[in-house]
Amino acid sequence: MTKYIQRHSRQTRITHGVFISSCILLAITGLFVFVPPLTQALPASVVYGIRMAHRVLAAIFILFPIVSAIIAPKGAGHFFGKYLRKWDKDDITWLIRFVPYMLGPKRVHMPDQRIVKSGQIVADGMLILISLVMIISGFGLMFGGTGLKSVSLLFHDIGFVALILFGIAHIYLGAGIFQPYRHTVRLMFGDGKVSESDALYHWGHWAREELSSGANVVEKPE
Amino acid sequence: MADYAIFWDASKCTGCKGCQSACKCWNLLPSPLGKNVNEPTGSYQSPLDLNGNTRLLMTFQENEVSDDKKWGVEWSIGRRSCMHCVNPACATVCPSGALSVDEDTGFVRVQDDKCIGCQYCSGVCPFDVPRYYAGGSRINKCTACLDRVKNGGAKPVNGGTGTGNPRYSVPACVHTCSPAALDFGTREDMLAKAYARVQFLQNKPVNPCSTASVYGDVQLEGTHVIMVLKYAPETYGLPADPKVGILPTLTSWMKPLAAFVGVATIAGLGLSYITGLGYKRDTLHFDPDTEETIDMDTGEVVCVGDGHGHKIRAAADAASDAAVAAVATVADKAQEGEE
Repeated sequence: MTKYIQRHSRQTRITHGVFISSCILLAITGLFVFVPPLTQALPASVVYGIRMAHRVLAAIFILFPIVSAIIAPKGAGHFFGKYLRKWDKDDITWLIRFVPYMLGPKRVHMPDQRIVKSGQIVADGMLILISLVMIISGFGLMFGGTGLKSVSLLFHDIGFVALILFGIAHIYLGAGIFQPYRHTVRLMFGDGKVSESDALYHWGHWAREELSSGANVVEKPE
Repeated sequence: MADYAIFWDASKCTGCKGCQSACKCWNLLPSPLGKNVNEPTGSYQSPLDLNGNTRLLMTFQENEVSDDKKWGVEWSIGRRSCMHCVNPACATVCPSGALSVDEDTGFVRVQDDKCIGCQYCSGVCPFDVPRYYAGGSRINKCTACLDRVKNGGAKPVNGGTGTGNPRYSVPACVHTCSPAALDFGTREDMLAKAYARVQFLQNKPVNPCSTASVYGDVQLEGTHVIMVLKYAPETYGLPADPKVGILPTLTSWMKPLAAFVGVATIAGLGLSYITGLGYKRDTLHFDPDTEETIDMDTGEVVCVGDGHGHKIRAAADAASDAAVAAVATVADKAQEGEE
C-alpha cells in the first residue's frame, strides 16, 4: 500500500483546468493579432472571428475563477492564504539554489518546503499579476479611448511577453517534464493526490504535517 | 518614391461642403436620407464628427471677436480628415496590413478588406481620425482617392500639377472644389504654394493676417495634407504640436522581444531537461511516530523531524552549497572578465 495526500480538491482542479485551458487558447488566438504574418495569412473575416473568440475566452478566463470563489469562499481564502505566509530560511535557500538545481538536479539538493514552495509563491504570484495586467489592459483595449487604448496595447503586449516566460516554465514544472518533477501533472490534471514520497521530496515540512495528522491521507494499492 | 500632397487653403475655403459631398459620392459612402433624421447640431457642421461613413468633414467654429476694429463672430472653417502622415503611426501598429504607405504617392493606403477591427490605429492617431463601420470591424478613413489618382478619372484642376502622369488624376474633393481652396500635386510644389500664400496673407495691404501659417510641413515630420491656416491650429480643432509619443515604438519592440524570450525560455528549459535526464529519486517514507524520514531504497534515515541534522542530509547540503558556490565563482569570473 502507498500513502497519498489529497492536495487539491475537485473544484480546484476543474477551476485550474478551465483557467489554464482558456489561458492557452487566449494566447493562441492572441497570436493572430500579435504576429502580423499570421494575421495576414488568414482572411480578415476569419481573424475577426478569432478576435471575437478571444473575447469569449477572456470572459471565461475572468468569470470562471470568480464563480468558483463565490461557490467556495473558504477554499478561495485558503488558496490565497497559503501564498501570504511568512518566509523562513528554507524559503530563501530554495530560491537561491533554484537555478543551479534546474541545471543540475543530481548535484543540488533543495531544502524542505511548506505547503507552497517559495518559488511557487513567486511564480504563481507573477502569473496572477500577469493575469490582472492582461484583464485590465484587455478592458482598456475594448472600451478605452484614443490614449488609453495605446497604453493598454503596450501593457497587453508586456503581459504576453511575461506570460511566455512564466507560463512555459509553469508548464515545464507543473506537467512534470522536468525529471525530478515527474508525476506532478496528476496534482491538477489527475486525482489531485500526491504520493508520500513525492510530497516529502517537494514539500517536506507540509508532507510531515499532513502525514502526522492523517486527515487528508489515503492508502491505495501500488 | 514620389511624394504627393493634398493642399487646402482655409483663407479660400467657403465651407460649401462640396468636397464632403464629393467624397461621399465617389467613395459610395451612404448618408441618412430621411427628413430630419440628422439630430440638430446647432452648427453648420454635419455630422458633428467623422464616422464610419464620413471620411471628410468640414468643421465650423465660431470665434468671438471683440476689439476696436471688429466685433461679433469670426468663422474658422476647418477640414477634418486623414492627414496622411509621412511616418504614419497607424500603419506601424496595424497588424493586418490594412493600413500601409503607398509607395507611389506616400499617402496612407487603406485596404479595408484586410482590416480585422482591432482598432489599434485609433489608439495612436494624433488627429483621432480612424473610424469604423460594419459594427466596428472595418476601418474607414480618407484614401486620398488612390483609385482615382492611380487610374486617372479626371485631370488636374486649380493649377496643381497632378501626379505628372497623364494616367493619374486628383482626389474627388480637389476636383469638385469651386473656390480653388483645394489642390493636388507633388508635396514639394504644394509646400511652395502654401508658403507663398502665407506670405501673401501676412503682407497683404488690407486686413493682413499675421496669424497665417503652414500646417503639415514640420508637424509629425510632415504630412501629405498641406494646409494654409488663417488662425492658430487649435481654432480649426487641430493640435498645435501633434505627437505620436513613444508608445507605438515600444509596442513594435514587443514582438521581437517576445520571440527572444520565447526562444530563450525554451532553450534554457531544454538545457535543464537534458541535465535532468537519468535523474532517479529514492522512495521516501515518513514515520509519524519517530518523526523520521527514511530512504526506502537504502534504509537510511535521511531527515529527523523537520530538522536537517542527519549526516546524509548534511552531505547533500554541502554538495549543493558547493554547486551554488561554483556557479557564483563562474559568474564572478565572467564579471571580472567583462570589467
